[in-house]
Amino acid sequence: MSSGRRGRISDDEINEFISKLQALLPESSRRRNASRSSASKLLKETCAYIKSLHREVDDLSERLSGLMSTMDNDSPQAEIIRSLLR
Amino acid sequence: MAAFKQDLFRNLLLGLRARTTEAACPFDAMSLQERKRAIKCSADVAMAAARRGVAGAAIGGRARWPKAILAAAAASSSSHSPGGTCKVRKSACCKRRVARRRVDAKRTIRGYAAAASCDVARRLVRRRTMALRKVIPGGSAAAMDEAALLRETMDYVVHLRAQVDVLRAVSAAVQRSTFLGYIFVLHFVDPMKD
Repeated sequence: MSSGRRGRISDDEINEFISKLQALLPESSRRRNASRSSASKLLKETCAYIKSLHREVDDLSERLSGLMSTMDNDSPQAEIIRSLLR
Repeated sequence: MAAFKQDLFRNLLLGLRARTTEAACPFDAMSLQERKRAIKCSADVAMAAARRGVAGAAIGGRARWPKAILAAAAASSSSHSPGGTCKVRKSACCKRRVARRRVDAKRTIRGYAAAASCDVARRLVRRRTMALRKVIPGGSAAAMDEAALLRETMDYVVHLRAQVDVLRAVSAAVQRSTFLGYIFVLHFVDPMKD
């Protein structure tokens, strides 16, 4: 599956990437002068976004873990979770 | 993406179940941190497995990041001590303590804004690309050129977002002590199906 030169990315591919990635990034980080977003800024925002998603996964895992520990062991909820995990 | 989320959720529960079985330690008996690590590891493996099952329409070929996650998880489970740390986090998840790098980058950007030469811009892109490689599973592989890295990035972001959505939904379902919460959980998983 060839797609341009190996190693160095072409300007066309960069532009394509820029527009696609801008669509993916959350609304808050979209700039008004979108056309002037440099590749490096976009890469930086992407990196930051991925890290924030990782943090969110971490927080949610912690929350789930906590929820399971505070669940009343006799509740139907706890029984369902237990039966799913048996 | 809905089908992917369902697969992810199903894989997550199956993975958690397998984890508690092989560790011979019921979920409730684990410590908070142990359970958190188990959930997080399972979520990553679930995401990778669900992605592998989907035709790689998004990037015209199989994505590489799922394989990287699964390889790391397999490597960690073979060196896994019961109830020990889940090592897959180190390679599949990002290293968050890069505050030093960030400060350097900020200082560098101001300097580069003044210069604004093509060569300097390329160097900055290269630095950013290196940073990106570290947060994309398998991104550090020498075989991944810039074009592949960018495609991997877009694919990974989309599916990582879906993982967050699933975990959020599961948290909400567990938290709610309503009948709807139970239905949600039961709808996605049939314990008899494997």
